[in-house]
Amino acid sequence: MLVVAVVMLYPFWVMIYNSLMTEAQFLAGKGFSLGSWKALASVIPVGQEVLSSTIICTASILIILLIGLPAGFAFAKLRFRLSTVVFLAIVSAMMVPLQAILMPEFVNVTKLGLTSGYIGAVLVYSALGTPFSVFLFTTYFRGVPDELIEAGIVDGLGYFGVLWRLVLPIAVPAIATVTVLQFIQIWDDLLVGLLFIQNTSERPITVGLAVLSAGRTTSIPELMAGSLISALPAMVVYLGFQRYLVKGLTMGIDR
Amino acid sequence: MAEITFERVTKIYGDDIRAVDELSLHVAEGEFMVLVGPSGCGKTTALRMLAGLEEISSGTLRIGGNVVNDVLPKDRDVAMVFQNYALYPHMTVGQNMGFALKVRHESKSEIDRKVREAAAILRLTDYLDRRPKALSGGQRQRVAMGRAIVRSPQAFLMDEPLSNLDAQLRVEMRLEIARIQRLLGVATVYVTHDQIEAMTMGDRVAVMRGGQLQQVASPQDLYDHPANEFVAGFMGSPPMNLLRARIASDDGSPVMTLGAQRLAVASRYAQSHELPTGAGAEVVFGIRPEDVDVLSANDAASISTRVERREALGAEILVHLSLLDAEGSSAFVVNDEGAVVSRPTTLVAKMGPRADVTVGDTLAVRFNPDRFHFFDATSGQSLRRVTP
Repeated sequence: MLVVAVVMLYPFWVMIYNSLMTEAQFLAGKGFSLGSWKALASVIPVGQEVLSSTIICTASILIILLIGLPAGFAFAKLRFRLSTVVFLAIVSAMMVPLQAILMPEFVNVTKLGLTSGYIGAVLVYSALGTPFSVFLFTTYFRGVPDELIEAGIVDGLGYFGVLWRLVLPIAVPAIATVTVLQFIQIWDDLLVGLLFIQNTSERPITVGLAVLSAGRTTSIPELMAGSLISALPAMVVYLGFQRYLVKGLTMGIDR
Repeated sequence: MAEITFERVTKIYGDDIRAVDELSLHVAEGEFMVLVGPSGCGKTTALRMLAGLEEISSGTLRIGGNVVNDVLPKDRDVAMVFQNYALYPHMTVGQNMGFALKVRHESKSEIDRKVREAAAILRLTDYLDRRPKALSGGQRQRVAMGRAIVRSPQAFLMDEPLSNLDAQLRVEMRLEIARIQRLLGVATVYVTHDQIEAMTMGDRVAVMRGGQLQQVASPQDLYDHPANEFVAGFMGSPPMNLLRARIASDDGSPVMTLGAQRLAVASRYAQSHELPTGAGAEVVFGIRPEDVDVLSANDAASISTRVERREALGAEILVHLSLLDAEGSSAFVVNDEGAVVSRPTTLVAKMGPRADVTVGDTLAVRFNPDRFHFFDATSGQSLRRVTP
């Protein structure tokens, strides 16, 4: 356990330690300074990039939840023609690697003129994340007793009412699981942001860091400071939702 | 409050699986109707059609005189109590009970008043702020009842609401549900597979089998005058003894042959029942375990049996007996020309707790001559001619 903890935490220690040095101190191997943090803001628009990442993440996750929740509920609880086939088709989309569809996606998004602004990236992230969320919500809702839904219907609700007022409140672990996993995936992704966001003023933090490290001379302390800023939100989200995440990922096992 | 009427209501799944087959049943205002039958008999499907949770394949379903075949569940004004209670886990007891009223946009004060009234009836007042997971099984069951009561619906529908409770609590809740139903006077359809619940709770009991209604009657009538072999065997614990017998006429009086033993049948049965008259005609003879008496010695009206098994239940002993043939061996029913069927002629007798019987004993038993039942050997229908 201790070994695992050391392996996991060591990179963070390296990031924190090295970010608290100037370039010269880093090369000398000793010293302490907040210079690289101050310099980072002048090299790349960190605040703007964090905001962009937040907007892209939030919008994508909202779309993923808005589609995944009702779709999962429908696949789990409603009887309709070809539901199994459609469900399998959606779930099989999880197996398709991003790289395989990246170029066709890029062509489509470009033709639609969606590469300026966040929309293109948000749509691509939503499309990539939705199959997983549909799968997870379907699995979760299958564990919800039919009688609970029928009780709601007899009490006067329609299916959307049941979903909104009865099922949603008890689906918090599943919602948290989808949110955390998608947040980490989208926040840390470089490829989609790099391709589908053309305006430099709208690029996410991962692209900003890539630019930082791709320069002719790269300041390691500044890069470490940027990496720390980039890693922090994902860690906060993960830690905040951790208890739901475990419940969400193990659901179905104890049934 | 309203009456409920099923008119030839049928539910077909897939192409030809008839879960409910032309069910015709009338539940009067304020009546407690129990639908009983073994698993898969269609009783729950019938209830779900009534609630609007299953579509009706054919027939007409009326609540309060209105045809509700195509009416949405929320517009039928019926309340349902589910087997697993189906309480909303994220709401308190009070919120659970008042939820249907909230959906109907009733005022907060009105909801609060109705919830408190129902809670008082159900003795739940102290638990209104608790979540369902903090309640015992019996309390959850009462909350489920409360959720139905607050709505003041036209009918209560209950789907095996006691099956998740332990035996003692089940007895308590049986009385509780019956008390509340009588208090409120709302037409109730109660589904169960437990014939003791059916006998003790229902004003009338409808017995179903294979999607078809077998008989509707008051519990006592059902017990005393079962319409067929199935009802006779299903109602009563232990069930009625059903033995294949040959019946013949001896100078105008019917005589029955059970295995190798002959037994005179009171001549009034020839009038009250359509007993077959042909030579070697077969019937199914039924006798309740409590109508089998042990005699101290053989006489003309007795049957020789051997004790095969003895089950002491405390208040009574159930004694499993086999009929003896001429050589004193356990008899088998002999069918046409000596072909032996697989079922030996065994029967169960209820005896007092102090009865001195041991496995292997030979006993002379007498069947209560006023309590004979006869069923058609082929169709299983009662041969009784007159209705009581």
